[in-house]
Amino acid sequence: MIAELGHLLAFLALAAAAGQSVLGLTTGGEAARRLAVAAAMFTALSMLTLIISFVRLDFSVALVVAHSHSQKPLLYRIAGAWGNHEGSMLLWCVIMAGYGAVAALFMRAGKLRDRALGVQGLLTVGSFLYLLFVSSPFTRLIDPPFDGKGLNPLLQDPAVALHPPFLYLGYVGMSFVFSMAAAGLINGNIDREWARRTRPWALGAWSFLTVGIALGAIWAYYELGWGGWWFWDPVENASFMPWLVAAALVHSLIVTEKRGGMASWTVFLAVLAFCLSLLGTFLVRSGVLTSVHAFAVDPARGTILLVGLGIAGGAALALFAWRAPTLKAGPEFDPVSREGALVLNNLFLSVSAALVLVGTVTPMVLQWLGDAQMISPEAASMSIGEPYFQLTLAPMVAFLLLFMPLAQAAPWRKAEVKPLLKWLLPSAIVAIVAALGAMALGGWGVFLGYGVLVGVWAIFGVGQDLLRRTGEGGFKRLLKLPLTVWGMAIAHMGMGLFVIGATVETAARTEQTFPLAPGQSAEMSGWKFEFQGVKIVDGPNYIATRADILATHDGRTELLQPEQRSYPVSEMGTTEVAIRKTLGGDMYVALGDQLRDQQNVWRLRIAHHPLIDWVFGGAGLIALGGFMSLVARLRRRAPIAPEVSPAEATPGTTVPEAGLGASA
Amino acid sequence: MIGPIIALLLQAAPLEQPLPDPSQEARAQSLMRELRCTVCENEPVSQSTADMAVDARRMIRKQVVEGASDSQVRDFFVTRYGQYVAFRPPTDGWGMLLWGFPFALLAGGLAVLGLRLFRNRPKALEPVPDDRSGDGV
Repeated sequence: MIAELGHLLAFLALAAAAGQSVLGLTTGGEAARRLAVAAAMFTALSMLTLIISFVRLDFSVALVVAHSHSQKPLLYRIAGAWGNHEGSMLLWCVIMAGYGAVAALFMRAGKLRDRALGVQGLLTVGSFLYLLFVSSPFTRLIDPPFDGKGLNPLLQDPAVALHPPFLYLGYVGMSFVFSMAAAGLINGNIDREWARRTRPWALGAWSFLTVGIALGAIWAYYELGWGGWWFWDPVENASFMPWLVAAALVHSLIVTEKRGGMASWTVFLAVLAFCLSLLGTFLVRSGVLTSVHAFAVDPARGTILLVGLGIAGGAALALFAWRAPTLKAGPEFDPVSREGALVLNNLFLSVSAALVLVGTVTPMVLQWLGDAQMISPEAASMSIGEPYFQLTLAPMVAFLLLFMPLAQAAPWRKAEVKPLLKWLLPSAIVAIVAALGAMALGGWGVFLGYGVLVGVWAIFGVGQDLLRRTGEGGFKRLLKLPLTVWGMAIAHMGMGLFVIGATVETAARTEQTFPLAPGQSAEMSGWKFEFQGVKIVDGPNYIATRADILATHDGRTELLQPEQRSYPVSEMGTTEVAIRKTLGGDMYVALGDQLRDQQNVWRLRIAHHPLIDWVFGGAGLIALGGFMSLVARLRRRAPIAPEVSPAEATPGTTVPEAGLGASA
Repeated sequence: MIGPIIALLLQAAPLEQPLPDPSQEARAQSLMRELRCTVCENEPVSQSTADMAVDARRMIRKQVVEGASDSQVRDFFVTRYGQYVAFRPPTDGWGMLLWGFPFALLAGGLAVLGLRLFRNRPKALEPVPDDRSGDGV
């Protein structure tokens, strides 16, 4: 019964969302609001029934058979509910309707809320049609088997159990940003008040997306066994593109909110972020890619997604074209100003998004042209990977970080370059010294040097700006700075840490494969690894081949036990690496295969990943900063009066916190 | 210091050993990172424990020792396995377009913005003091 109940609930949610969209776009008011909450509740209950089916191992449900097994631990039975195409689409619906309900419950009543609920209702209806008619998770089997086929064992991992919910909170969160943009365009008031009310949604979705991507990277690092955390795989790029556009959006929204400028560009980004989320979903789910994410290789599903993307994007662009002439240009500003710096930020981020998009899609388009015999097979097989993205993206990131402290310190409307640069001289000196030091240690690599240079510059520059904002109060006032300022500073410092970690890790990582027989040992980075042999260990639903390795460093010895797991049910294997954390980075040991021609000789892959925690920690700080900024914004405030700009109405009440050029 | 380690590695690793010259080894490793392991799904040869990858690594080291340039090593693999094995797209012909377009886009964007913002640059603007009424940035 429970699957049928879930199915029914999904239809009820569809009906409620349809009502929400009609009422939201017409009369608005209380009814639309209630329907949005109802849609979310029906969807959540429907998801709950699916989770119950998975926990109870109801093998009459086709999805449970395909993705679960009686030997699977409880956590992964629950996560199994969204670790597949159909279940993850239901999760998508839960989150989409959930955003609508949060808006219905907490947004100030008015036309903006009503229209946004209406558009969100339309998107939810579209998602439910896709779910119910081409990806239903509730299909029953007439002849249920005794046991399931199990979950892809690579996905049996805590980080990856949480990765989809966070990723979707980000990805699908862009849908509400889209709805706000469409609502603003329908109402014809893309103004400062609109930007103020859109900003929390953009910040929230972007921060969740950051967490989701970071969890995926962490999982790749220790679960895939190759020690990489980012491979420029199309699946990764699919989530990185909306991230870049949303990062541009959270910055351009500042200009729109504070100064009323960049309004049409901001709306365009708000639409684009969700369109890229849909494009990413298409790339991952249409079967044009093979990866752990491509659960469903079904071209029809891909086509429908592409049509949905066309409808949503096309409608938004039509709205945009209709309203663009009415959008007001903001007040004048000098190119040398905070506005100017944020325009540059948007340029760098947009070019980054464009190059990731082109680098991701080009090989697929070429392959498609080759399959259609429009170009030769040689021309059709091209890979675009790490070297391309690294070399083209690095300058963009460097520019971003170079301008970051300047953007923080420059006043709105007009700034003086000279006092700004003079004031930032200490950070520049620290950055140059750090970069030279890193290059001296790391073998004079240019890439390494300039990654450290811009990273240290950004961190110290942001620190200097924090001190500047305390004014006369000094350190004691540091804790009294507004939460938004702290959020910005933490996210920006996180970005600096991330860039330092990423460049050092990429430039100075060492890896080596050693074929070892028991008793033999290998040395790397001051560590000695003595291989003692392997033994077979039984897990709950796998059989592990576990190596015992005595790792010696500085006279201390400890046992490391990397494993290879084989899952009989799904006939797949995974690697469980052994990681020894040190202050400067990770020693990473993975157990490879037994040699073909020599019994008892195993390949061990040993790697040193310097500053790897800076990569993940930096990403975590970026998300934390975003969330802090979001929380600071949740307090209710009086709406901005349309004509008067408060920045001009109350000039210079607190001089020390004014932009640097202003006080100079 | 290096001598005993090499000796140990030679003894421990009869099949795969790093090159004695660290700069050659670094070059070899960076080449391993940008060539695809053809029997794996989406991995460079540097990271795979598959036999194909082991052979590829040995071949890369051998060629580096014999004095081949980076592009000669890449070409060796591309002529045998196709452009598909190189994660670095070609830099000639149409590939130039791919490599050049981000920078062209950046330059174009800067030019358009520069023209729009600096021509008719407004005069006599005063900096706006920051609004610190609680909402900061």
